[in-house]
Amino acid sequence: MTDDKDVLRDVWFGRIPTCFTLYQDEITEREAEPYYLLLPRISYLTLVTDKVKKHFQKVMRQEEVSEIWFEYEGTPLKWHYPIGLLFDLHASNTALPWSITVHFKNFPEKDLLHCHSKDVIEAHFMACIKEADALKHKSQVINEMQKKDHKQLWMGLQNDKFEQFWAINRKLMEYPPEDNGFRYIPFRIYQATTERPFIQKLFRPIASGGQLHTLGDLLKDVCPSAISPEDGEQKTQVMIHGIEPMLETPIQWLSEHMSYPDNFLHISIIPRPTD
Amino acid sequence: VDVLLKAVGDTPIMKTKKWAVERTRTIQGLVDFIKKFLKLVASEQLFIYVNQSFAPSPDQEVGTLYECFGSDGKLVLHYCKTQAWG
Repeated sequence: MTDDKDVLRDVWFGRIPTCFTLYQDEITEREAEPYYLLLPRISYLTLVTDKVKKHFQKVMRQEEVSEIWFEYEGTPLKWHYPIGLLFDLHASNTALPWSITVHFKNFPEKDLLHCHSKDVIEAHFMACIKEADALKHKSQVINEMQKKDHKQLWMGLQNDKFEQFWAINRKLMEYPPEDNGFRYIPFRIYQATTERPFIQKLFRPIASGGQLHTLGDLLKDVCPSAISPEDGEQKTQVMIHGIEPMLETPIQWLSEHMSYPDNFLHISIIPRPTD
Repeated sequence: VDVLLKAVGDTPIMKTKKWAVERTRTIQGLVDFIKKFLKLVASEQLFIYVNQSFAPSPDQEVGTLYECFGSDGKLVLHYCKTQAWG
């Protein structure tokens, strides 16, 4: 049996092989070779693509370069969503490597947030952690931490330091002994097919009778279309970090072990491949 | 969704504090609205906070925030020209 702590490591070190290609309409002085990179599932596009930017800027004229943005099959990729979520939602059942197109012009204002510096990513990351703790602990744990602890969470993510990150994050995964879990579970459910950005609601990990709520319970409550009737074909996949956890898994366990570093469970509901 | 806007620090106070906002309105949309109402320049920054603890992402929908963080039938948002709660 795998130790629970191994799950934390597996989640942290998950990688997606990606091929970055420059958009054909970008003006270059020489031919732009594609750039290959293993992307960390738990990180953010603009945090880990400095090398990609440098690679393509080498073949472009200075004046043609403005803010970089990424697109997959026509869909602008939101840098403020974790990479693993973007892949699971848009490309999980396609052949690897993941082919991402790089743009330097015509920034799609309506679809994407700007990301002028790493500070923007840090602010977004910390805001998500704070929101998650507001749900889990009424913000008590995050507010009791010092600024340097907050900084350590960010530095751990930025520098891919698992131990450094979890030294602080483990406190965010604790709960009072008299409770059996968090107050509410921080989760977001995404579906590529709907108009809404995501579903996020209040959901308790423990039922009034004391039983642990499961992933299936969560879905039944907030997204019943994701679970098809008893028999019959399951038309959708419920995916977290590239796998389909069993619906019987307690949601409290999932929250503690399979959240992203921002402390949210980002869940993708995607069509099941037919072959 | 009923939203109650509270000013922080020396940020100008809105004459009307209570607003009915569509669920699908984003935080960015709300920011733009407040800026217009307070006659702030577009380039001036405005920060919005939920529960005086976190700043939601600009693309977050007010309806979702209300469901998760609303109380007494309304969502209380604090707004500030400078960063208040980080």
